[in-house]
Amino acid sequence: MKLIIKIAWRNIMRHRGKSLVIGAILFLGAFLMTVGNGIISGMSRGLQKNIVEGFTGDIVLISKKQETDNVFIEFMGKAIEPLYDFVKIEKVLEKQDYIKSFVPVGKNMAALLNDSENGAPGYSFVMGVDFKRYMEVFPENITPIEGRLLEPGERGAIIPTGARKEFFNTTGTWYIPRGDTLRKENLTEEAKSVTDLECKDNVVFMGFSTDNSTSDIRLDVKGIIKYKALNSIWGQFVLMDIESFRQCQGYFTASDSRVELSGGEKELFEMGGEGLDALFSDDALIVEESDRAVVDEKSLFSDSPVQQQAVTADLDEGVYNMVLVHLKDNADSKESLKAINAVLEEENLDVRAVPWKSAVGQIGSTAVIIKAALFVFVMLLFFVAIIIIVNTLSMAALERTSEIGMMRAVGARKGFIRKMFLGETGLLSFAFGGAGILAGIAVVNIVSLFKIKSDNDMLQLLFGGDTFNPLLSVQDTGLAILQLVLVTLIAVIYPLLVAGNITPLDAISRE
Amino acid sequence: MKIIEISGLKKNYPLGKTTVHALRGVNLDVEKGDLLSVIGPSGSGKTTLLNIIGCIDRASDGKVVIGGKEICTLNDRQITDLRLHHIGFIFQTFNLIPVLDALENVEFPLLLMKTRSSAEVRKRAEKLIDEVGLSEYKKHRPAELSGGQRQRVAIARALVTSPDIVLADEPTANLDSVTGESILELMKKMNEIEKTTFIFSTHDPNVMKYAKKVVKIKDGLIEEESAS
Repeated sequence: MKLIIKIAWRNIMRHRGKSLVIGAILFLGAFLMTVGNGIISGMSRGLQKNIVEGFTGDIVLISKKQETDNVFIEFMGKAIEPLYDFVKIEKVLEKQDYIKSFVPVGKNMAALLNDSENGAPGYSFVMGVDFKRYMEVFPENITPIEGRLLEPGERGAIIPTGARKEFFNTTGTWYIPRGDTLRKENLTEEAKSVTDLECKDNVVFMGFSTDNSTSDIRLDVKGIIKYKALNSIWGQFVLMDIESFRQCQGYFTASDSRVELSGGEKELFEMGGEGLDALFSDDALIVEESDRAVVDEKSLFSDSPVQQQAVTADLDEGVYNMVLVHLKDNADSKESLKAINAVLEEENLDVRAVPWKSAVGQIGSTAVIIKAALFVFVMLLFFVAIIIIVNTLSMAALERTSEIGMMRAVGARKGFIRKMFLGETGLLSFAFGGAGILAGIAVVNIVSLFKIKSDNDMLQLLFGGDTFNPLLSVQDTGLAILQLVLVTLIAVIYPLLVAGNITPLDAISRE
Repeated sequence: MKIIEISGLKKNYPLGKTTVHALRGVNLDVEKGDLLSVIGPSGSGKTTLLNIIGCIDRASDGKVVIGGKEICTLNDRQITDLRLHHIGFIFQTFNLIPVLDALENVEFPLLLMKTRSSAEVRKRAEKLIDEVGLSEYKKHRPAELSGGQRQRVAIARALVTSPDIVLADEPTANLDSVTGESILELMKKMNEIEKTTFIFSTHDPNVMKYAKKVVKIKDGLIEEESAS
């Protein structure tokens, strides 16, 4: 081995030009590969942090009736199917030791009704949450930049900057929190150019639920918020208290669950199919006074939702659309998903669990595509590097036919010649590739210090958040070393065959 | 004692649609300790004969036995080991490993054998370098040596493993006459010291005086065998 290393090293020094070419390719390949790994790793971690920890949780529970898994960013699809059994779901989830926390939310689209003369109605995703509980699960997700966040049990809406901008573009109205003054520094360029800017401190939403029982609801704007990361995406989600959301979407609210029904009312509500048809038959028109089901509509549906008192009932008794589940740090997401689905099935609940990537639809797939594209780019780079190295080493082997043939003539086996070439390439790979990896580590660490920010959606996906934060773990560095070793081994296979097959006769023939 | 037995040796080279018959049935026996010179004009088959004896090329027909082993039946690894342990080579031009100095070049075959310690290898190589008169140049690389000095290193390397046979294909072809004669003198001396069989080819009739036995080859056949 000592002899092989000695000859290999001296050959590298003897053929400095070729060694430098191969070394430069290995350096560049290893450098780009390390930086690429850093970007991919940073992106993965950023997405994990900003989507999972900031918005969706690791796993999302949705109704079995829900056709598509994509429940967050579905622009053209149907409304999200409601979940009626959260109380039961909660009991099941609380027993699972791999779950860290969970929060039920309502989520659908809603139209922002425009009662001004100018502009068209706006549209937005709306999320109804028990705000106290939501903030316990996503404590650092949102920051108020105007007004404040919702108090526990308080009715109202908080509008993200992205949604406010969209609302202004479509309705011509600039929304500000109730009791707050217009902050000109927060106006968009378009809003600044308007001389007579119309400002409002309340919104009227009309929900888009599945059962066509939506109603419009007027809510005070309590605050304007900014999401900590990926604000350009999550900034389209208006948050409101869960009871207002339910009323807006025409869902069964927690207040509804507290309404005491008489026997006749219950009978009427539980009636269905032929029973309902019978209500409108001729026979039904002639009934005994005592059998008549009297429904006090006022007790069921409040005529002015925004005037309702704070809900004192258990909010969980109403309808939600999904449950966002955070897993414990050491929990395996795939195994946990299987386990949750198994236990939900066992309990005969009308719920299924989907991974966050499926739940965010395009964002998850775009992230995967960007990640795959980066990976393909790095692999392509390797492929080109391999071709160049193979070509250069093969040429080097052929140019050294006399030397190799003579070695074979005096007793060197094919294995010795191959080891000698492998030694040369290995030394180059170790020196230049190692330097490339070290340079890549340095660049990744230096770039992450700059905290480069972007508002661009695609860049934010690439960054995994608002800030470009490439990251290299020990595993990533190990992966880079492994990739370098693989490239070296793949690149050297053909030249080794060429060198090993040189015979003393080839050398003599060349002379 | 016969160290080489050759009978009915033929070697054909296909050359396009025709075949060149380089050797057309050579019969030759070489005794251990011989200093044999194979002479003949260019294209007579000298190099081909030496290549086959040295297991560098394979015969088209016939039988070659070296040290009791029929070489036609050996595989690549066995042939390589046979060259390493039993045959030394001195070539016309390509001779030394350019990145190793003179002493390291001489050590090279011994290191491949892996049968001696580093100290033993160094001692043996230094002895040979000394015998070929290059003690002062042992740390010089081939590029820093003259043609004659390189051939001396090649002779030392060929002898370092104490082979049964040393084959030298026109070892003086690229040397001036004085240097060439000194190389042949050296080979003769080493033949006497090491008792190694030397076979060298040449097309220079003046070289014959250094050989104990001369084989004259022409058109792929041995024309004459004589003791000098």
